Amino acid sequence: MSLLDILLVIIRVLFAAFVPLCFIAVCVWMERRGAGFFQDRAGPNRANIFGFRAAGLVQNLADGAKLFFKEDVISDHIEHKFYFVLAPLIIFFTAIVSFAVVPFADTLVLNGKSYIMQGIPLDLGILWFFALAGFSVYGIILAGWSSTNKYGVLGSLRSTAQVISYEIPMGLAVVSLLVVYGTINLNEMAQFQGQLLFGFIPMWGIVLQPIGFVIFLIAAFAETNRTPFDLAEGESEIVAGFHVEYSAMKFAIFFMGEYVALFVSSAIIITLYFGGYQIPFLATDTLISYAKPVAFLLMVALPVIMYFFAGWIRKNNVSHYPRKNDPRVYEANIYIKCFWGLVIVLEIILFAILLFKSGGAAAHIFVVLLQVCTFLLKVTMMIFVYIWVRWTLPRFRYDQLQKLGWQVLLPLALLNIFITSAFVVALS
Amino acid sequence: MSAKVKTMERKGASLAEKIYFIEIFRGMATTFGHFWRNLLDNSKLYVRHYPEVEPEIPVRWRGRHRLTAHEDGTVKCVACFMCQTNCPAGCISIEAGERQDDRAEKMPVKFKIDLLECIYCGYCVEACPLDAIRMDTGIYSVTDYNRESFVLGIDDLLRTPGAFSEEEYKKGGA
Repeated sequence: MSLLDILLVIIRVLFAAFVPLCFIAVCVWMERRGAGFFQDRAGPNRANIFGFRAAGLVQNLADGAKLFFKEDVISDHIEHKFYFVLAPLIIFFTAIVSFAVVPFADTLVLNGKSYIMQGIPLDLGILWFFALAGFSVYGIILAGWSSTNKYGVLGSLRSTAQVISYEIPMGLAVVSLLVVYGTINLNEMAQFQGQLLFGFIPMWGIVLQPIGFVIFLIAAFAETNRTPFDLAEGESEIVAGFHVEYSAMKFAIFFMGEYVALFVSSAIIITLYFGGYQIPFLATDTLISYAKPVAFLLMVALPVIMYFFAGWIRKNNVSHYPRKNDPRVYEANIYIKCFWGLVIVLEIILFAILLFKSGGAAAHIFVVLLQVCTFLLKVTMMIFVYIWVRWTLPRFRYDQLQKLGWQVLLPLALLNIFITSAFVVALS
Repeated sequence: MSAKVKTMERKGASLAEKIYFIEIFRGMATTFGHFWRNLLDNSKLYVRHYPEVEPEIPVRWRGRHRLTAHEDGTVKCVACFMCQTNCPAGCISIEAGERQDDRAEKMPVKFKIDLLECIYCGYCVEACPLDAIRMDTGIYSVTDYNRESFVLGIDDLLRTPGAFSEEEYKKGGA
């Protein structure tokens, strides 16, 4: 192994491990500010460091510090303390590890050698995700059972029944997807989606499998235990469900695991149905050969976007009440300067790409970076959809949930398999 | 005479509603409209920027108590114990003493209101025959760091002025 090999392994493992962790902060922030805006209120916008509130991101730091220094209570009535401590770890660990097979960029080719861009170079793909998503139920079961608490047990039972019954339609939705793609490797799926249907529609999973997408989306909502399927938490009936006995950092790990699961399931939905890291109409090969025009376009577009973004910051980062020497105006000016600095750095990088030989290593790396950004952008948008649904739809009743799973989604998924297989057989 | 019967239209039975999706998308369009409007211009948020922008307190609002005084500054209260007797929370404790001016026989030497006990029902104001206790200070936020500071003495109660003019207060229905 050369030094480059080792470096790229380290980079991809770090990416797969730390990006979900960083996205916890982004998810929580989006959830809170988003919830605020959906309900016509502001959301957390007061916590600050020297007057800098970073649009409410500082609140996450404050909450993290609070949870970190809180007393970690394990009540005396809990008999199996080992399982009690193990449960949040299982949830957090499975959530993070399940991201390891999701490709965040196309295979990088440097000096004739190809480097795969996912955490673990496994061919298991979607099966790995299913295995770990199924395994994370053990965390919920253990948490509810070892809490020795009625609410906890009820919550974990609900969650278990729900996750198990929704795994079936989810798996069946993926079966019809496998028939279309002919592979279980997520990277190959994403490459497949780089093609064009009839020459002008991106061949994304959602175009080829609309019914499968709807089933998978609903099942994914249920798998992540989010509204409208968050019966496991049902705060009005069973307080907080399976994590009712947990406090401080153990609760925080549950909380973080939940948001990592949200990130991963968004990433999986993106990879299966929205072309993964693919930029629409620009497959990897096209991108590499047109790296310079794309870089030039970005160089033009970035300052324009930044101009409007600065206007938006200036308009919204002010106090909406009479205030002398509004510190928020000063704050907004600093933010705008920081973002302009970032734009200048990006412009320099893009300019460097214009200088390098086209089709060379620089172009390959540029394409990978572009695809990583596309992937993260798509995932962020998918997370927004999760948040959007959460603050729109009320919770299902338990029998409605099971009815939807077994009597609607399951037959629909089976029907979808038949239709898809018929199409695939007829066309091939 | 038969009761007036109004038949309510039941929602959720039509096919379009049973498919769920159309209704879900309509609901999501509504919430997204709110989100997008607030994201583009957050001055359109409905909520008040509370500690900086204070709510408007109407005259009839039962705020923190105060004791009223005559024009010459002597307390109106004659220590009749009506308010203390009437208080459902038992937060008022009065100690009566002899009155030196010729207005009445008694006056309160001590007049304590424990705001942590008080339920802000306003019965003390109703009970007072001399309009000596009022809840028209307009103070809606009673906060402090220790329990002792929530027990108001006669001086505190006399010191606080009313937030409204006499005319407005009378119009408020007191």
